[in-house]
Amino acid sequence: MKCLRCGNSDPAYFYKGSKGYYCRKCIRFSRLLLEEELEPYDYEISIGCQEYHFDYELTKDQKETSKRCLTKLTDGDVLLLCVCGAGKTEIAVESISAYLQKGLKVAYAISRREVVIELSKRFADIFKHAKVTAVYGGHHDQTKGDLIVCTCHQLYRYYQTFDLLIIDEVDAFPLKGNETLMNIAISSCRGRIIFSTATIDTNLKQVLKQRNYSSVELYVRPSYKPLSVPKTVCLNRYIALLYLYRMMKLMANQCIVFVTSKKDCRQLFRLFSHFFSCTYVYSDHEKRDENIRSFKQKEKKFIFSTTVLERGITIHNISVIILNFGKGFDQSSLIQMLGRVGRGVGDQGGETYIISEHYSSAVKNTLAYLKEANSHLEMSVLR
Amino acid sequence: MFIKNDPLCLKCRSALKVKRKKVQIEGISFETFFDYDGIFKSLLLQFKECYDEALAEVFLYELSDYIFMRYQGYRIAFIPSSEKKRQQRGFDHLEKIFKEVKLKKVHCFEMKEEITQEGKNLFERRKMITNYRYTGKPVKKLLIVDDVVTTGSSLIGAYTCAKPYAEKIKLLSLAYKNSSIQ
Repeated sequence: MKCLRCGNSDPAYFYKGSKGYYCRKCIRFSRLLLEEELEPYDYEISIGCQEYHFDYELTKDQKETSKRCLTKLTDGDVLLLCVCGAGKTEIAVESISAYLQKGLKVAYAISRREVVIELSKRFADIFKHAKVTAVYGGHHDQTKGDLIVCTCHQLYRYYQTFDLLIIDEVDAFPLKGNETLMNIAISSCRGRIIFSTATIDTNLKQVLKQRNYSSVELYVRPSYKPLSVPKTVCLNRYIALLYLYRMMKLMANQCIVFVTSKKDCRQLFRLFSHFFSCTYVYSDHEKRDENIRSFKQKEKKFIFSTTVLERGITIHNISVIILNFGKGFDQSSLIQMLGRVGRGVGDQGGETYIISEHYSSAVKNTLAYLKEANSHLEMSVLR
Repeated sequence: MFIKNDPLCLKCRSALKVKRKKVQIEGISFETFFDYDGIFKSLLLQFKECYDEALAEVFLYELSDYIFMRYQGYRIAFIPSSEKKRQQRGFDHLEKIFKEVKLKKVHCFEMKEEITQEGKNLFERRKMITNYRYTGKPVKKLLIVDDVVTTGSSLIGAYTCAKPYAEKIKLLSLAYKNSSIQ
């Protein structure tokens, strides 16, 4: 017994219902009977949709990396390993265009619906003649187009459909550690996959082990500025509050303060809202969008946030403070959070701090990663 | 011998809290066991909309004996789903849920018109009041059951059309949406 959609073969997850056996591991994506046959989703790609245009010039490194990525796709999958803010989306564009030119089906999958909405608009601007279709929870009436931009959860609709699938942020929720979802994503592609990420974790390593892939790396941001290496401070939880107060008092830029739990988020907001102009946000907060907007529009100077703001947000001239208490953040989260600083060409960059109870391995690995990435930058500039 | 095998793990079972209540809508009272939110909502949606039959025993695991004792002598009558939904699922979801309750069961209601309540607003749902027909034999005691009460239209509709055919009628719903009733 093997589920065609999620690849599960554990008999404990199969149940015999009125219509026959079905897999319960991927039941949330609708019931798939064991004897049911899945067919590739059929739609046509329009002629001329591959033409693209950027309103800005790509850097030399971005152009080179784009070409390398496309070349490597002829041999197998690609692991596109780029530092935060290096322009992974722009790098994928040349490969997307090449596949569309051949009339092949392409999809760009990413974890969050907000990013899908934003990205589909960006792709519509880049591919002016293509029909870019955004597919996400609550928005799936239209599932055909020249280029599909969707959340990873929506890939179950497209069994063995895509010739090129770009999975962005493979190291993040919900793909991280979610074997079922990863298998569904992989089964939606009959051709090549670009795994786009800033870090590789053990789960991704396992997935890559089973696939024939080559790495394409880019450690340089378009601004050619090094990644900000944070100042790390080890403090007791209560003393950290005083330290945080002092830093916030001295802070000139807008600042995101990352915390490990919703509870911390609420409590810190309650405490510091007496002293500073601040707001807070977490995934299921009622005023999530409103609070993010007020921070983006510079109405508030500080925002307390859980990992919800670690990806897909670009604000210029921002600083980041990470309160790494309790369970603590993992390496990929730390890198993404610190990657919010110094994005875009005219960005002056800000300060970065990690305050934690102890010097964890995730913090150590993060610092090592940043230093290594910056050494690549020096070499690239020297070239 | 005395312990049944719970299909849920301890963590999920403790999250699925039974809140037995009597609720009145338009002068008709009915019993309900859960609030329609949290884990109950997600389990019911997985059962009804993703057709996960394995979950059928989950809802009344702690309550089947109580229903049997409380409603002795009653016949359970199910509020019918639309034929299209039943065909898609391949099973009657209420029949599956109440399978473990050792009372006699009857299918005595029919829909006059195939209306699904999914995505309908409160006013459209009120049409359900006149949309049922009683097709069974006259009985002494009838227990009309539904899964979720939103406006109460289905239960009231079934109650109204069954009234001439049963001496005593009681109503029961697994859950109800608090806000909608207000």
